[in-house]
Amino acid sequence: MKYLQILMLSGLLVLSICGLTVASQGTTSDVNSVWIGSHYTDFSDYVKKAGEYNLGNDEVLPEIKLNYGLRGENYFMRLNSHYYDDKNIFGNLTGYYEDRLKFNVQYQSLIKQAGRDLLENLEARESVGGNTGGGKMLTHEVLDADADYNTHRQMITTEADFVIDKKHKVNLMVAHRTIMESGTEQMISNSHCFSCHITSRSADIDKITHQIIAGLQAEVVGQTIGYEFGFRSFKSNADEVYNHYDVAVNPNDSSAAGEFSSRLLYEDSTLPYGTYPETKKMSHKFRVKGDAGKGNYAAAISYSKAENNITNLASTAWVGSASYAVGLSPRTRLIARVKASRLRTDDTLIDLPNYREGTSAGPQTNFDFTRYSSLDRADARFSAEVISRLNKKVTASVLLGYDWIDRYDYPIAGEGLTTKRMKGQLKVRYRKGIKYSTFVKYRFEKTTDPFVSGRGLFEERGRDELNPIPETFRFVFYFQREDLRYQSITTEPTDEHIFEWTSRWMPDRKVNLTIGLKGSYDKNGDLDSLDINHLALRPNLNLNINPNMNWSINLGGNYGYYKSSGPITVALFDG
Amino acid sequence: MRSRSSPKLMGAPVVMLIFCLLLVSSILVYANQPPPDAALVGNETCVDCHDEISEAFSTTLHGMISELSKTENAVSCESCHGPGSAHVEEMEPELIYNPAKEDQFGDMPTCLGCHNSPNFDNWPFAAHNSGDLNCTSCHKIHEPQADAGMYNEMHLCLGCHSDISASMFMPSHHPLREGKMSCLDCHEVHGGSIEHTLEDAKRELCFSCHADKEGPFVYEHAPVNEDCTICHTPHGSVADNLLIQTEPSLCLNCHPMHFHAAIEGIDTLFYAPVDSSRYGVSTPDAWKRGMLTKCSQCHTAVHGTDLPSQATSTSGSALTR
Repeated sequence: MKYLQILMLSGLLVLSICGLTVASQGTTSDVNSVWIGSHYTDFSDYVKKAGEYNLGNDEVLPEIKLNYGLRGENYFMRLNSHYYDDKNIFGNLTGYYEDRLKFNVQYQSLIKQAGRDLLENLEARESVGGNTGGGKMLTHEVLDADADYNTHRQMITTEADFVIDKKHKVNLMVAHRTIMESGTEQMISNSHCFSCHITSRSADIDKITHQIIAGLQAEVVGQTIGYEFGFRSFKSNADEVYNHYDVAVNPNDSSAAGEFSSRLLYEDSTLPYGTYPETKKMSHKFRVKGDAGKGNYAAAISYSKAENNITNLASTAWVGSASYAVGLSPRTRLIARVKASRLRTDDTLIDLPNYREGTSAGPQTNFDFTRYSSLDRADARFSAEVISRLNKKVTASVLLGYDWIDRYDYPIAGEGLTTKRMKGQLKVRYRKGIKYSTFVKYRFEKTTDPFVSGRGLFEERGRDELNPIPETFRFVFYFQREDLRYQSITTEPTDEHIFEWTSRWMPDRKVNLTIGLKGSYDKNGDLDSLDINHLALRPNLNLNINPNMNWSINLGGNYGYYKSSGPITVALFDG
Repeated sequence: MRSRSSPKLMGAPVVMLIFCLLLVSSILVYANQPPPDAALVGNETCVDCHDEISEAFSTTLHGMISELSKTENAVSCESCHGPGSAHVEEMEPELIYNPAKEDQFGDMPTCLGCHNSPNFDNWPFAAHNSGDLNCTSCHKIHEPQADAGMYNEMHLCLGCHSDISASMFMPSHHPLREGKMSCLDCHEVHGGSIEHTLEDAKRELCFSCHADKEGPFVYEHAPVNEDCTICHTPHGSVADNLLIQTEPSLCLNCHPMHFHAAIEGIDTLFYAPVDSSRYGVSTPDAWKRGMLTKCSQCHTAVHGTDLPSQATSTSGSALTR
């Protein structure tokens, strides 16, 4: 099969080349090279690594590289291709017609293996007494133990740029990209039989993403204006995977089965799970750039709408940005940037069955709620940077910035969360000709009210009122934790410090030696007692030698030191 | 010509001092311009002396397009270097324009006169521009290298950003060193509209390839809406799936571990501690087991889903389905 594919691919390439040659008129010339070889990969005693790319097959396989260039009187094109195996193929065709048209078509494929069982390391309390209550908290079964989970990802990109009118610099740009994913994935479902029953199955992957961008650009009164239309769609064509959700049984006391079942939204049902959305997104963008006063500016405004075709939920975004750079003196520049956006996402009512619905035990409670989206927000960012060449060797810059993010109905409905961030940066660069340069940079960010995960960091302790359960109840039920969880604590940092030093020595354009250190430290100053902080240090050394156009030699050493400190949240046992 | 004045140091806040130093800058005039009365001499004249450049240039992209051009706008030596008559007469390098000496304090780069696509909108404000790079820092205009006359693209970037190369050798990484991606797939090196040379916010950027994660979903995971880098690090990590930490530590930054994972197994019925007649014990062994269990083994739909989870405990929003 593989040889047939290689033969077909080779045939197509030869036909393409012949076609191009025959189609060409006038004086033509071509340059080509074909490399035919073979490779063998030995996987004996090899342990697959998680997320590994480019795995070959454990057999002798042919390999082909073909490069072809064709040049005519008013066009030229170039083809580069490489067939490694049926899952690793690369092809690129670039062409120019006069100086008006440029196009590029590229095919790229890769394989990524999962390399692990998602249920490995599953450690939980197992059954101690068969199907009787007591002890059993998690059980699991793997239905496709021998499945080879991997994703074959293929991408085809096509781009074309056509000059319509040279005088007014009118250009038409069109691009399309298709991403296809196939293979086998591990699908995991869990249902409440004797507590949690986890089931692993294999399922086909058949996902496809299309993306189209089309734009028109022109120069009008010295300013460049442009419009871009974008469209993106995603769909999975794979068959849905179903799980039978068991009749739930209380793991501890099977006599309380009715009570336990009432804690579930569905049971004894065969339902799909692990489904993918079907989405589409359209965008419109207007851009303008040019000179203003003594400086240059660029600005853009865009509108986009993302829709989930299955649920009819939509998310819209208005985004505007503007940048301006101006010389304050012959050796001093000011760069100012501003960006603002308004995002809206549909809210949706979650209609849930009442607690104890259909049973005679106790009062029923309605848990319906409106899901407000955390993507309903406005944000604005501003920064200004002054860069000055103090003398021929020293350049220094100072940057100040401010970010503001206002989230509505998040994390608590009716309250919202506003994050404010101050940023500052100082950078000094020393340069001695082109042979030696070094710079140091320090940056800080001070954040008030950083992002909080929607369900809060910790369950709030010592809360007196356990709504909506009457005091006569003895237990704190699972769903009550919803009320308890809301608390505005986060491990996101409030204070960040970033340091960077890099020195580069380039005795000539063929040798480049770089040495540097990057470090960062952040902490959450709102939670000093919990001592949440992160430290990273990354020294690096790199030598790059390019003796001629055919060789590039890189030698380098990098070291990363990362340390995270913070609390581990306690396990709750309130059910 | 150079002039310099020194700000007063005494009593001035450090920040003001820095600003003053920056604003009171020197004026340097570099000779890099042909005289105003210089005239065009044509490629043939240039070739007389620079034949080695001419030979190589004919095989570069610029050279090949130049030969295709049917208009007066064809790329020539003087398209980039300006009129060469004075340079030819005096044989002085200073009398011809050299784009390699362009810097951020001068006019817009010569290259942008032709390269006017949206990719270059933000060059005047780009970090690379501010960092004293110009077009020739990366593009070798006269050498027949790859398409844009660059050395190997990834190595080019890592030549300066060498700290990133360590990340790429971590177990989980994007397929850059496998040659299946390039830095340019995410970074607009000629200047993005936001920092880090990214054109879009990280969330939108990631969704351009991972579109199945975008939604909007009925049941959301808030960090997905906020910023993918809350959980993921794009250049490489020790944890699987480019996570900044392994599970469950990552999840426990925001969520409490629940009892399934950390209560010791017992042979009899167990009860909740909120009632004196019920008990349950978290033991060190149970904690160890809990820390080896990954949250995503049950909470599989961490990027959001339209399907409700089974239990009422989270009102269906536990992202298990």
